[in-house]
Amino acid sequence: MTENGKTPSPSLIGASVPQVTARAKVTGAAQYVADMKMAGMLHAKILRSPYPHARIVGIDTSRARVVKGVRLVVTGEDVPERRWGVIKKDQHILARDKVRFVGQEVAAVVAIDENTAIDALELIHVEYEQLPAVFDPASALEPGAPEIHDGTGNLAWEVRIDRGDVEAGFKRAAAVYEATYDMPYQYPGYMEPMGTIAAPDGSGRLTIWAPVQSIFSARARLCDALDLSPSKIRVIQTVTGGGFGGKVTEDSNTVIAGFLALKARRPVRLINNRLEDFLSAHSSVPARVWLKMGLAKDGEILAKESSIIADNGAYTGLATSVTYVTAMRTDSMHRLQNVRTHARLAYTNKIPSGAFRGMGLQQMAFPLNSHIAMLAEMIGMDPVDVHLRNAIRTGETSVHGWHMGSVGLSECLIRARDGIGWKDKYQRRQSQGARRRGVGIGAAIHVSGNRARDDWEGASVIVRVNEDGRIVLITGESDIGQGSQTVLSQICAHELGIPIDHVTVAAPDTDSAPFSIGSISSRVTTVAGNAAIRASRLAREKLLAVVSQKLEVASADLVIEDGFIHVVGARDHGMSIADAARHHIFRSGGEGIYAHATFDAPSVVPDKNFYGNVSTAYSFAATAVEVEVDTQTGQVRIVDSLAVDDCGKALNPLAVHGQTNGATAQGIAWALYEKLEFQDGQLINGNFADYTLPTADSLPHLRSGIVESNDPNGPYGAKGASETAVAPPAGAIANAIYDAIGIRFNTLPIKPEDVLKALQNQGASGKSNA
Amino acid sequence: MEKHSIDVIVNGDDYTLEVPARRLLADFLRDDLGLTGTKRGCETGICGACTVSVDGKAVKSCIMLAIQARDKQVLTIEGLSDRDGKLHPLQQSFIERGGLQCGFCTPGFIMTAYVFLAQVPSPREEDIRAALTGNLCRCTGYVGIVESILAAAEKMSGS
Repeated sequence: MTENGKTPSPSLIGASVPQVTARAKVTGAAQYVADMKMAGMLHAKILRSPYPHARIVGIDTSRARVVKGVRLVVTGEDVPERRWGVIKKDQHILARDKVRFVGQEVAAVVAIDENTAIDALELIHVEYEQLPAVFDPASALEPGAPEIHDGTGNLAWEVRIDRGDVEAGFKRAAAVYEATYDMPYQYPGYMEPMGTIAAPDGSGRLTIWAPVQSIFSARARLCDALDLSPSKIRVIQTVTGGGFGGKVTEDSNTVIAGFLALKARRPVRLINNRLEDFLSAHSSVPARVWLKMGLAKDGEILAKESSIIADNGAYTGLATSVTYVTAMRTDSMHRLQNVRTHARLAYTNKIPSGAFRGMGLQQMAFPLNSHIAMLAEMIGMDPVDVHLRNAIRTGETSVHGWHMGSVGLSECLIRARDGIGWKDKYQRRQSQGARRRGVGIGAAIHVSGNRARDDWEGASVIVRVNEDGRIVLITGESDIGQGSQTVLSQICAHELGIPIDHVTVAAPDTDSAPFSIGSISSRVTTVAGNAAIRASRLAREKLLAVVSQKLEVASADLVIEDGFIHVVGARDHGMSIADAARHHIFRSGGEGIYAHATFDAPSVVPDKNFYGNVSTAYSFAATAVEVEVDTQTGQVRIVDSLAVDDCGKALNPLAVHGQTNGATAQGIAWALYEKLEFQDGQLINGNFADYTLPTADSLPHLRSGIVESNDPNGPYGAKGASETAVAPPAGAIANAIYDAIGIRFNTLPIKPEDVLKALQNQGASGKSNA
Repeated sequence: MEKHSIDVIVNGDDYTLEVPARRLLADFLRDDLGLTGTKRGCETGICGACTVSVDGKAVKSCIMLAIQARDKQVLTIEGLSDRDGKLHPLQQSFIERGGLQCGFCTPGFIMTAYVFLAQVPSPREEDIRAALTGNLCRCTGYVGIVESILAAAEKMSGS
């Protein structure tokens, strides 16, 4: 029953509890930002640049201003002159002097309804003087390229990391392989387009309702852009229809809406349409990666060298951090000693890139997993064995100083391999018919929180006990659909011995929530989960103290069962949580039970050479796929996919499987379907008809498995489970295609026309060789 | 702009309203009737978040005019549970089987499935996948959605 006064019923931890938000979502009751209305609310629309690079000679807004129903028209001349930006101060709220990509915000109209605003936009006349533009990041870095931001040479960021002796490693290698990989922009594709309602309160304060991944970083962006102090801005997170990184550093919609509301002195609503969302969301960072690796005869990776050119687009979101991740993260998956990388991030006249689920991990996982398959073939080893030969282990410290508290990588690899039927399928090339099958595997490592910029990577949770015994859990950590409200509720209910529906998680609000970092780098379950345990235990102690005093028994002799606090072994000797909470209020001068706890990750800020243990814990995943290549059409079909995720203790397997399957679908889509296409800098597929997200009939029944390598730092052993699985599919698919038809694809997405062309070339060269 | 008077039944309630000719059914439901469970995700009839039932057919309400619903019966997600709040088996399954995460696409998927199951009460998985091609989900990889619909179909044909 109980031991040392600890709460029993472990049933909620590890249980497949439905999302606590689910009922509201299936009935249509959940209020997303576009569903909200306010008295006196006005509607805004944005005029965007039609040119990739041009000087703004003049803007005539006079005709738009006199349209009936128009309340405000603003241009870059009205916004703060000072530049702002999360990492680099390189942008204005609306373009001043110059535009740098097609779609950049140039002017805005605020009107009584959206249609009036749209009509008025057409009456704004902007005179542009076009400038030479550059779209390819490598060309942008060449001398003489058009300079997008003065004095930068189009270099937004650069990093070099060099550890061990790469040259010596290559010298010892039995096989060395090098290749260049190209990866495109992937649009986050959350189903809820970004939107904001901004309302001034009449006393100089501004309230923002928006689906953001972090309320406090949103507030920081608004402060920076609008030149206001934090106390002037309140950010409330609305129910969020997906984020996938795109709502981490959202730097256009929220900021423009806030600016317009202050100018108009009225509530302003700004909702992106889908094209606007394609143009203003930060898609994933496109990268060209040259990779060279050397293997010993026994499969040991002796050296890895890479050179990365990444595409920042016209302004800097979080692409610097993404490029940093690409440069080094996968290195810690293996027991490497000799690694060298040089990564450059270039400005181009295209849409800004930035955070996307995986945060740059996949831009190296695809090359790396492809490379391992090729090198394995060169030395005559199974690629899974090469991974296993090099897989890092629990207790080890990686080449970049990451300490591994728990590692389930080998088990992930073995289960993915066996589950796909590897032994019977790999290198069989049985069919010489029109449809050929092959298998491939990929693996990845991810963080659970990433201490990158600040010397704090913590989270705080407040547990408030209402006088009816129900809990309000207050935190700034945001649920963006992944289910963090559910997991925090599970933890709280488990610790207090109450049903989960006695816990409500309040909407994150910068006025009332403790400071928080938000839903980034798979940190909420691990970091905020630990804070929730502490806050719940503190609330429990306070409750027991009340009962202890009232009944004159020691706290240690009390337990909580089903919301009732009683003496061990005497169910009728005690009082309900509700009575205890009420009693506390009236005996403590009106002070309710209010437990605030914080947890800081046991990680460090990496040193100036990027060495140091950045995260609380590290997650792993391996994905094996079987593909069928139709040699008549070039179409690649995923026949089967099994992703096995080491997320430590799976606090909610239903949620974990959901995360793994969703991430796998995104990874498959990046490999086969999705790419932002540009013509002279103009996005030409900014809609869901031309930019093809996978549909239910284009994917197999994705399978997912869980490895629980419980981590000493995680809450009950849990690690991040949201991102790792996005990274392995591309390499696994490219490897499976190679296994099927003997052709290696290094450019994503792998489209049917490319497969057909390669097959034709293979046929032609095959004949000439014969 | 010219306005037209329409009679329409939405979720069992009769409405007579004046609507501008260009008013889309999705906007009519959301802005005029306050039924915001019907979502707008793409404005081009691709994502399916705005799917509702019109006279028993699944319709993308973002590419249909409100006046085209004149004298018709419209059912939205708000009308699926009964008046006492008892959930439809589809809604219950989506909750229990991980048929949703962020929830934005959920009303559209449930309405598509509702119309589909009326036509095909005992579908196979591939039938369901084919029936869902007009709805996009970015969170689930469709696994939870397909399983939810299979479970609901079983429950509905069993009862």
